[in-house]
Amino acid sequence: MTIVYVITLIDSERLNEAVLEPLSTIGSEREDTNGQEPGSWVRSVSVTLSPFTLQSEANGRLMQGSVLIYDGETGIWRSCKLENPLGRAIESSETETILLGPKDSFSEQIDENMTLIRRRLPVMKLKAEKFLVGTLSRTTVVLMYLEGITNPDLVNVAKAKLSKIDYDMFLDSSHVAAFMEDHNASLFPQFMQSDRPDSCVNSLNMGKLVILVDNTPFALIAPITFFNLFQSPEDYINRWIVASSLRCLRYFSYFLSFTLIPLYVALCTYHYQMIPLQILYVLLESRSRLPLSPFWEAMAMLMTLEIIKEASLRMPSKTSQTLGVIGGIVIGQASVEAGFASKVLIVLAGISAIASFLSPNYVLSKSSLIVHMTFLMLASWLGVPGMVLGMVALLAHLNGLTSLNRPYLAPVAPFLGKDWIDLFIRGPLKAMRQRPSYLLPLYKWRYSQRRKPS
Amino acid sequence: MLEVVRATKWLPLFLFLGSVCVAVSGCRPLPQKNTLEELAPVIFWSIDEGTGGKLKISTMVPPLIQEPKKLLTLQVDLLEQGTKGFNLRYDREWKLGQLRILLISESLARKGIGSIINTLMTNPEISQRLFLAVVKGDFDRYVGSQLKEQSQLDYALYRMFKHYERKNQGELTIVNLHQFMKKVYSRYSDPVLPIFQADEADFVYEGSAFFKRDRLVANTDKSKDQMFQLLSNRHVLKLFPIPRYYTTIGQLRSKVRWKLSRDHSELSVTVALRGRIQEYRGARNLYKRSELGALKKEIQSWLEQQTRALLESMQREGVDPLQIGDLTLRPASKPIDREEWLQEWRKMRLNVRIDLNIQPLTKVSGEF
Repeated sequence: MTIVYVITLIDSERLNEAVLEPLSTIGSEREDTNGQEPGSWVRSVSVTLSPFTLQSEANGRLMQGSVLIYDGETGIWRSCKLENPLGRAIESSETETILLGPKDSFSEQIDENMTLIRRRLPVMKLKAEKFLVGTLSRTTVVLMYLEGITNPDLVNVAKAKLSKIDYDMFLDSSHVAAFMEDHNASLFPQFMQSDRPDSCVNSLNMGKLVILVDNTPFALIAPITFFNLFQSPEDYINRWIVASSLRCLRYFSYFLSFTLIPLYVALCTYHYQMIPLQILYVLLESRSRLPLSPFWEAMAMLMTLEIIKEASLRMPSKTSQTLGVIGGIVIGQASVEAGFASKVLIVLAGISAIASFLSPNYVLSKSSLIVHMTFLMLASWLGVPGMVLGMVALLAHLNGLTSLNRPYLAPVAPFLGKDWIDLFIRGPLKAMRQRPSYLLPLYKWRYSQRRKPS
Repeated sequence: MLEVVRATKWLPLFLFLGSVCVAVSGCRPLPQKNTLEELAPVIFWSIDEGTGGKLKISTMVPPLIQEPKKLLTLQVDLLEQGTKGFNLRYDREWKLGQLRILLISESLARKGIGSIINTLMTNPEISQRLFLAVVKGDFDRYVGSQLKEQSQLDYALYRMFKHYERKNQGELTIVNLHQFMKKVYSRYSDPVLPIFQADEADFVYEGSAFFKRDRLVANTDKSKDQMFQLLSNRHVLKLFPIPRYYTTIGQLRSKVRWKLSRDHSELSVTVALRGRIQEYRGARNLYKRSELGALKKEIQSWLEQQTRALLESMQREGVDPLQIGDLTLRPASKPIDREEWLQEWRKMRLNVRIDLNIQPLTKVSGEF
């Protein structure tokens, strides 16, 4: 009998307990009782063995943590999965932190992640379909959806996209998303990444798809809209009026994060008439001694701010806090005293930096830098009309985007009035009686349609 | 396969049309550069008669708080010549985009200010919310004396106008450029502007100046101006001191009912006034209802006299700042001419009635 395995990939303790010990017992018994049936040892090992014949199968199973056993008497190759259970415990999410609500989050183990979802949705309707992507990484991807609720067209589109993937390496779910997105050149994410099982289950319930990727804690949720990027799981935990106002604050902050400094540049360069008189005095006073034009002043401050933000991300957490505080205060104060920037701009830069952090989606907040720079250039070139043009272009671009072929600006465009209950406001849960109609769910009602006995 | 759903194909068209509307409605596609640090935004202009039929224009510079300010004056034939002349005399470019106050001297206002106002009105840079005022005396002397004491004089003046522009502030007549022009070009009514007295030490509100079209013809004194505020302007006075009866009425509000007879021969005006006695320094015992009633009657008849005198002065000058001419308009009849109206207005009988309802701040006994 020959046993083949890669020692770093398998659980050696389980190999001893489940395979080697039973086989050695059989070996000693065989000396006593000759003439036993060939291949009867299969029954004595405590793992499931599956036979195979091809060399390619052998290679694949070996590299995925299986032990290959060759029975010389029968000439049959069998394998059992005994992969090394490397992984971490279920911890709370660091990227999508909330104060109240479930604390668990996904890990790198796809099976565990599926369990976390299935525990919250213990119904037979929850379907999971497995795909293998990556010619070298051989990464397992699981597509999950609720049968009878999710529109089958969405499932078919996702399946078709997954099966078409042809690439060597997939280390994160964002890599899979890159091959499935409808518009690769866009700044805006068309798949949402989340490591929160509750978010994923909520999305499944709405009629969306969840795609789990092995070796990454971030699941993909699709189709999404632009407005989903501003929704936090905590919205559904807070009181609905509070949640609605916070959500509106997020939209406003996002808008502010890329328009505040360009507006300053536009007003200081072209439209001095629009500035209230009292602020005009302050601006005139502070700008009268500056060597840089409003555009270059704003650009320099913005670049400095981005450098500080990027540096604090790359540093260890304790150092990054100090770096942020020292960098922000010292550089801000020093640049005003040195006469590089006006006090007003420093205040505006601070407000716009803080406003950019309010967006719950990290990918979106990162992309706002490029939008910000574009608006800054348009403001410097054409003033407020330039910003209006930029806004028109931005809205037109967003309007053209799709996520798994569903409109990205729904339910605003196309207008779907019923879905507005969970758009700018988060309506009371009792009032959310239907699933979002832009997802075309097969069953739209969220409550029982049967009459209650009187 | 799921059909690709485009998010309403009409939206880009709407966005495009929206941006076209923005572009054609006055926003220049390539705006003029106005780099803030290279500008000197003018906040007020004071215009007076110069020598030889010229205009004398004055303003304050620089617009910075921490630099000492000075008064610049130019004698010009044309208003825009002033803008150009100031530009040549000063390092920063003069801009009128923040012009908030225009002070016109009384002598100039008596000759007519139509050409000046039209020039400002047609300048796209100048806001329609430009406060206009008439000044008696030498305003330049006042500015010259205040430069060292009050460096932010121009801004302080602007705040004063802005404060009294709001509703329920009472006290002052405040008029914007567009309000003035609206009255100039209306069929019957005539514009009003506030009038101030300026000397070396003070800049004091005098009352309301009545215009006939664009020409100043008369103005109220302080006492009659209070009645004018109640009749037309704001219908509110925070304080109405009446020294003749040793009384100050506070929080006085008015409701005015005008009634014009069908043949336009008689005008009845009923003014219901509601307020409270804020101060009384006379000899009457206001704790007694009879005494309070007597005081009320005296004040009432005095107010009637004041109102009548104010209206009669308007009749004499042939001006209609209270827009009484609008009462002649009927839904199905042709409006009469302005000249015809003014003739009727001059000859009209006046019937003035004041209903005064003032509350004492003390308890009043029922003893007579």
